[in-house]
Amino acid sequence: MPQLNLIEAVRSAMADAMAEDARVFVLGEDVGLKGGVFLATDGLLARFGPDRVVDMPIAEAGIVGMAIGASLHGLRPVAEIQFADYIHPAIDQILNEAARLRYRSNGDWHCPIVVRAPFGAGVHGALYHSQSTEALFTSTPGLKVVVPSTPYDAKGLLIAAIRDPDPVIVFEHKQLYRGVRGDVPEGTYTVPLGQAAVRRAGAQISLFTYGLMAHYSLEAAKVVADEGIDVEVIDLRTLYPLDQATILGSVRKTGKALIVHEDKLTGGVGGEISALIAEHAFEALDAPVRRLASPDVHAVAFSDVLEAHFMLNPQKIATAVRELAAY
Amino acid sequence: MQDASPPPGHDLQYEHAALGLSDAQVLAALRGMIVARTVDDRLWLLSRQGKAHFVITSAGHEATQFGCAWAVQIGRDYVVPYYRDMALVLALGQTPRDIFLHALGKAEDPASGGRQMFGHFNSRALRIVSGSSSVGSHPLHAVGLAWAFRITKETDLAAMTFFGEGATSEGAWHEAMTIAGIHQLPVVFVCENNQYAISVPQAREVPVPDVATKAAGYGMPGMVVDGNDLFAVYAAAQAALARARAGGGPTLLECKTYRLRPHSNADDDRKYRRVEEVDAWRARDPITRLERYALHSELIDPAGLADIRTAVVAEVDVAIAEAERAPNPAIESLLHHLYGE
Ligand SMILES: Cc1ncc(C[n+]2csc(CCOP(=O)(O)OP(=O)(O)O)c2C)c(N)n1
Ligand SMILES: [Mg+2]
Repeated sequence: MPQLNLIEAVRSAMADAMAEDARVFVLGEDVGLKGGVFLATDGLLARFGPDRVVDMPIAEAGIVGMAIGASLHGLRPVAEIQFADYIHPAIDQILNEAARLRYRSNGDWHCPIVVRAPFGAGVHGALYHSQSTEALFTSTPGLKVVVPSTPYDAKGLLIAAIRDPDPVIVFEHKQLYRGVRGDVPEGTYTVPLGQAAVRRAGAQISLFTYGLMAHYSLEAAKVVADEGIDVEVIDLRTLYPLDQATILGSVRKTGKALIVHEDKLTGGVGGEISALIAEHAFEALDAPVRRLASPDVHAVAFSDVLEAHFMLNPQKIATAVRELAAY
Repeated sequence: MQDASPPPGHDLQYEHAALGLSDAQVLAALRGMIVARTVDDRLWLLSRQGKAHFVITSAGHEATQFGCAWAVQIGRDYVVPYYRDMALVLALGQTPRDIFLHALGKAEDPASGGRQMFGHFNSRALRIVSGSSSVGSHPLHAVGLAWAFRITKETDLAAMTFFGEGATSEGAWHEAMTIAGIHQLPVVFVCENNQYAISVPQAREVPVPDVATKAAGYGMPGMVVDGNDLFAVYAAAQAALARARAGGGPTLLECKTYRLRPHSNADDDRKYRRVEEVDAWRARDPITRLERYALHSELIDPAGLADIRTAVVAEVDVAIAEAERAPNPAIESLLHHLYGE
């Protein structure tokens, strides 16, 4: 089986989906000749032509709005927002239009679009090339929000998103694009949306995370394992709707929950998971639910020292795990 | 009430035969426009009775909407409307009953099953695309549809989208025009310029006297027509749609018109426009002008016109009664259609 990094897996997902289904097309800024600023669409223009690999003007509402319109005629658009930091101009199209089309028309229409956006810090991107914007989208029914952490999942989740009959937002962590490699099958396959993955089974603490933090959390779990702390690491993969059964099942087993995300603390996905656990698994808890997240500032700062302080890392996660284990 | 003596002439730009329209088509449009106005009258009444919680008017815009509808290949071309377009969807084949079911939020409301407030028209069968309330957000969907035709290699097909002049200040509108212009897509952008965005007059919302001049910056032609002249609108819409379907690219068609009633039942238009101004536009009511034309051209006589009006009132009465009797949505439907399978 080929070993790919995450960006190659994303590219392979789009290429295979486009080869298999003539309704699939990609659109975004610089996706054509340049192949995207991260090369997600490299080579697709030569293979599929300019009608299906569309270089768009700098108009994010236009990119998503055009995808919505095309989906109404039965197509399967995959829109790329160049950086998650620039998804904001498209928010009206995503939340007021795509997410609501099925509901507002009483099921007459539906909107099978995918919006991909690179997100995350740790690449010296500062305030406007580092943001985690997932929480802006994880409270809107009608949408699905997905974050892959492995090349295998990146391809399988993206193909599942393309085949899904509803709008799916896929956030891809920039550090993972070239930071992880793994087995990725040739041809199309899917990883189901809405299902978390248990990356490491454990008995004492449930650690819920996603994206780059899934890797940091696994490293931290390995370190504390030598100290006798047995952590279950759960990669959420889909942030909305959440896989409640897996989350609650794990907490009922371990009795302790730690949520780790790169997004800001307040209003992040961790708050919703904490509430779920408090509401449905309170009796199982042996300790307060703990959240480890970025501080409540807009995004990572440019200075090396500020960036390092902002970012979570395996050490910070291991410390939080030890504190929770000692409770 | 109609004056018994036939008026001296008419002030429409064309004779209908010159545009290839039959006598029967003109009379059908006249009747349809009277239906639309009567439905509008009755919606305001239902609002005053506390039965319709929201009313937004199409009164005054009927010639613009019927003229455009005539040019549409119904069920083939896509129509992406806005809240002002009640007369348009009637012209495209929705019925007064559909309109009242929508206004009363009933289960059979074809727009949304009682989810959306009045004015959010929809029918997938007629290719009328569901919209939000977010002004200016929807022309992009017409652009996306047009891109889809390119990918599926379907020709002789176009999308027509409608909006007010106020919407042309929105960023999403600008993006739609930009993309349509770059790729010369088969989209006709229809601006129903009624000179106000709720209370704000055109001079404070649009920096040019004619919205149509904006088209130049997007690489497409702009046309200005008298939006209260059914035939002038039809001729322009027909030309724009024909060009679009033939691969000639998009058009911005500005129809100058006037809303004869307040913006909605939550609006008091006396605060921002003078009665004399409204009266001057009432004298150019598109329905009155078409009636004068029909009488002058002897397509109908005053008695025939009176018969139409009586029949329309009876038809609309039946539609209201049916809609009022229709069941409300089932409570559990609130949670339906969030996701597909
Ligand atoms: C994005 C957005 N901003 C504001 C409003 C409130 N609003 C509804 S209609 C309207 C005026 C629109 O005027 P115009 O586009 O000229 O259309 P008209 O109502 O005159 O037909 C406004 C401000 C809205 N619905 N959406
Ligand atoms: Mg207006």
